Amino acid sequence: MSSPYRDDPHASNGPSGASRRDGAPHADEALDARRSTLDAHGTTPLGRIVATERRPNTAFEFHFWTALDAPVGVGTIVRVQGSTPIDGALPQVYGVVTEGFAYTDLQTPLHDVLGFDGSPAGASWHATERAEIRLYTAAVLRQLPEEPLQPVPMGEVFLADDADVAVALRMDGYLQEGSRTAIPVGVYRAGPMESPVYLDADFLVGPEAAHLNISGVSGLATKTSAVEWLLASLFAHFPESRGSVAAVCFNVKGPDLLFLDQPGTLDAQDEALYARLGVPARPFEKVRYFAPYTAKGFSLATLRSHDDLQENVRPLTWGLNEVLQYAEVLLNKDDVDAKADALIDFITERVVNKAFTDPLLRKTYTVTTFAELEEWFKDLLIAIEGRGAGDTWRTHHVATIRKVRNRLVNIALRCQGLVTDGGAVSDLPWGTFEDRTVYVVDVANLEEDAQDLIFARVVSKLREHLERRDLGVRHVVVFVDELNKYAPGDGQETYVRKMLLDISERGRYLGLVLFGAQQFRSQVHRRVVGNAGTALYGRMDADELATPGYAVLSPAVKTKLATLAKGQLMVRHPHFTQPVFVRFPRPAVLTGRAGVERFPQAAEPTVEAAVTRSLRTLDRGVTLAWVQEVTALHEPREVLAARDRTLMARPDDVRAFFRAQFRGRVPTRAAAPSAAPPAAPLRVVPADDPYGF
Amino acid sequence: MSLPHPATPARDFRGVQRRLGGALRDGLSADGGAPLELRQSLPADPPRLAQAALLEGHAMRAVRVEGEPASGFAAFVDGVQRTRVLGHDQGLPVVHGTVAAVVRVRHNRRFSTWTRGFVVDARVYAPCAWLAPETCAALRDADPRLVDTTRPDAAGELPAPHPLALLDRALSMVKEDREVVEKHVAETWCRVEGEPLFVDGGIQESELVATAPCVAGVVKSHRTLYAEGEGLRTVLGLRRAQRSTVFRVQGSRRTPVASWYLRLRDPAGHDPMWGLVRVEAALLDGESREALTARADRLSRWILAEVSPVALPDARWDRMAYGIYDCERFLRAVC
Repeated sequence: MSSPYRDDPHASNGPSGASRRDGAPHADEALDARRSTLDAHGTTPLGRIVATERRPNTAFEFHFWTALDAPVGVGTIVRVQGSTPIDGALPQVYGVVTEGFAYTDLQTPLHDVLGFDGSPAGASWHATERAEIRLYTAAVLRQLPEEPLQPVPMGEVFLADDADVAVALRMDGYLQEGSRTAIPVGVYRAGPMESPVYLDADFLVGPEAAHLNISGVSGLATKTSAVEWLLASLFAHFPESRGSVAAVCFNVKGPDLLFLDQPGTLDAQDEALYARLGVPARPFEKVRYFAPYTAKGFSLATLRSHDDLQENVRPLTWGLNEVLQYAEVLLNKDDVDAKADALIDFITERVVNKAFTDPLLRKTYTVTTFAELEEWFKDLLIAIEGRGAGDTWRTHHVATIRKVRNRLVNIALRCQGLVTDGGAVSDLPWGTFEDRTVYVVDVANLEEDAQDLIFARVVSKLREHLERRDLGVRHVVVFVDELNKYAPGDGQETYVRKMLLDISERGRYLGLVLFGAQQFRSQVHRRVVGNAGTALYGRMDADELATPGYAVLSPAVKTKLATLAKGQLMVRHPHFTQPVFVRFPRPAVLTGRAGVERFPQAAEPTVEAAVTRSLRTLDRGVTLAWVQEVTALHEPREVLAARDRTLMARPDDVRAFFRAQFRGRVPTRAAAPSAAPPAAPLRVVPADDPYGF
Repeated sequence: MSLPHPATPARDFRGVQRRLGGALRDGLSADGGAPLELRQSLPADPPRLAQAALLEGHAMRAVRVEGEPASGFAAFVDGVQRTRVLGHDQGLPVVHGTVAAVVRVRHNRRFSTWTRGFVVDARVYAPCAWLAPETCAALRDADPRLVDTTRPDAAGELPAPHPLALLDRALSMVKEDREVVEKHVAETWCRVEGEPLFVDGGIQESELVATAPCVAGVVKSHRTLYAEGEGLRTVLGLRRAQRSTVFRVQGSRRTPVASWYLRLRDPAGHDPMWGLVRVEAALLDGESREALTARADRLSRWILAEVSPVALPDARWDRMAYGIYDCERFLRAVC
């Protein structure tokens, strides 16, 4: 029978309009041929837009279906190629998949049961799979042209390539040569595509926006690793034209940040990522560590105590001058009422660092240390109580004076190791901060009061110097972990939280940038997280994701967040209209855990050994024997004070300076035995007579 | 007969309506309403019993189909039609009919459309003998391939100008066109591919298809039962996975084929036709009885393997293979 259709040029030969072939294709070839239909860009469409009356496309959301094996999932970036020109240009829409659906033509599960006679094993032999759909919902990232803003048109959907990703995320604006401010944050992966994703330095460290916030559950190497990676990326790519940048990191727990200058282990994938993103796969070149002493004052309170790593470790010690300004941090409202506050102000303005004379006092005082302050208080109180003429001195009641004395002098006790009685100071290098340098302040082994004091003073000093433009660098990134603790959303107002709020709200104008991390973003003060222009999310706890702050995320995105693997992040950035998922490489530094294994903590040293270790950071010629000889006649307190003064002065001739700190003292010697024979006993006492003499 | 795609504006329902404009004096249907196939049943042959020559033995008997069901069909073919009233002229219906057929190939247990196996056509069907010449001219302008539903029958009789009779006529003609496109894609497959093909319905219409060893036609309707007496009781009493003796079926001016009944599902609690299909396959020259039996068993096993997934929610799911259901759904989606 001849067919009237055989050579009909109008005959339709497939739903997608695939061209007819003269040969006789096998059915599979035909399928392949249909799949290989190419678009103008030479890439294969992986989906088609669909819209129904019940589920229409809007200007912000659209739907598309794909083949079952299409490399599409939640977080995939796609490009929609419209077919109807708008103002002479074909519209292009970029979107990110936020939800996925799969279903078959099955109307009720019971039909499947019927189909297999109630035996699930029967499914293994049946010849046909039910028709199945992969339907995705995507949120619009960008439309071109941007005006008029229209619903997403029908069209083909393509996997976004590098150029598409740059346009979709509006990175094209800061990737241009000559005005490049792009900081790689990771790569976006979908199927065969692997596209770098960049943050805009102007929106990461200011001045347009600033600050970064990282959330993620603990123990998955997300928060610390991400910050280490991002700092490395920032140091590698921060444009010279934007000035210099340094980082101050507070190590608040364990050895997390203590081996930033030591190379870690990277696999080939990590190295490929570093190469792809143009970041050197090596540890930080310039790292300075600071840690207070332990309460004993011999050694530093840090896990980075191995002898091989002392080159760039410095003590962090402050005296009265450094602390008094921040007494508020350690004194709560119950401690300091208006009267006490007035006395503290009086002491700060009139007593400290000034020659102070009063008829009641024995002498003129110039108070520069806690020890001198204590002496001043003692003299004053004895005089007030001794004169017997009222309980006030210069309008300050004696009880107030006693209270303030107690609270202030107590600071040195509460922050032993950090605050010194004698006024020895070893501080961060204010004014000489160096470009692309990390300054790590290890507060992990300190009491909460000392941590708060360090944090408050360091941040305040950073702000002061940045305001005066004399810090040494133009921008400083401050990394604080555990924001839940330092800037909680509820609870009493603290000095530290006020500081963090201040950085968050005003820091970007100064170049002071907060990189904060926490496990529970919902528990951090909303002005702190709200002011973070960039937010990174690692694997999240499901309970956390159920809080209102995550309501804008689709259920699928939340599920993905709850199951993110190590090395994956969701990124929100001012230029990105929707969150984007990226992978980042392992930091090229030694992890804290590996670091303490490779560089075990040194045993608690003797005073002499501790001093030797400290002085050797200034002079490698200092030996333990030499220190023992010089300090043999002196009390540990004197030895440690001499060490502190030497470290503070950093003299050219360390040994001479150190030796000069000790007053000359004649060594005691045992009397020489007498040449005369010993006197004979008066009588012999029996050995077992306890009363004999 | 040319085959423009119905999506071509000039050929689809709306396109034809636009081209007709005010040509129909009673006006155009707003949307054509529901397809005629849903509003009135297709003209059907009266139920009857027919004798058939047995090819496998001397009596109609039930044969157990042994072995695990495992399908060898590479493709399925089916067609659909959709008929809607374009409008009326002096009470007489003018109809728009769309017919389509498709071959869906199975690859990795999933279906896709065979590139050369999809045909769709749309035409206008009008009672030209009862319409004014200018109306007919306007209709021909709208569709040069206009089909006259008042074509004289074999006896040379014109149909009465009864609107329902004319609708029946239009439906029959659309059905004929649908059978033509089904034949076309099946024949194309047989010529080009030659892999086992599952055809929905009988295969006698096309000599090429009816004689192709790769084809099995599966008939779901049983207006004619090819058994009488005890044989009929045997057929109606078939149990699941049982087939009848193979017999020969030959209609007038049709190619003879081998045929047998096959019960796909357990009929307990249902009517006697539940899960019952009649299989048509080519009569092969020189084929021995044993070879015929083996072929009937093999094809039966293949067909039995197609009972899953079930073709629900189609009302004929007890007799319909999922591959045919897939063809129909595909055609409904794209036509």
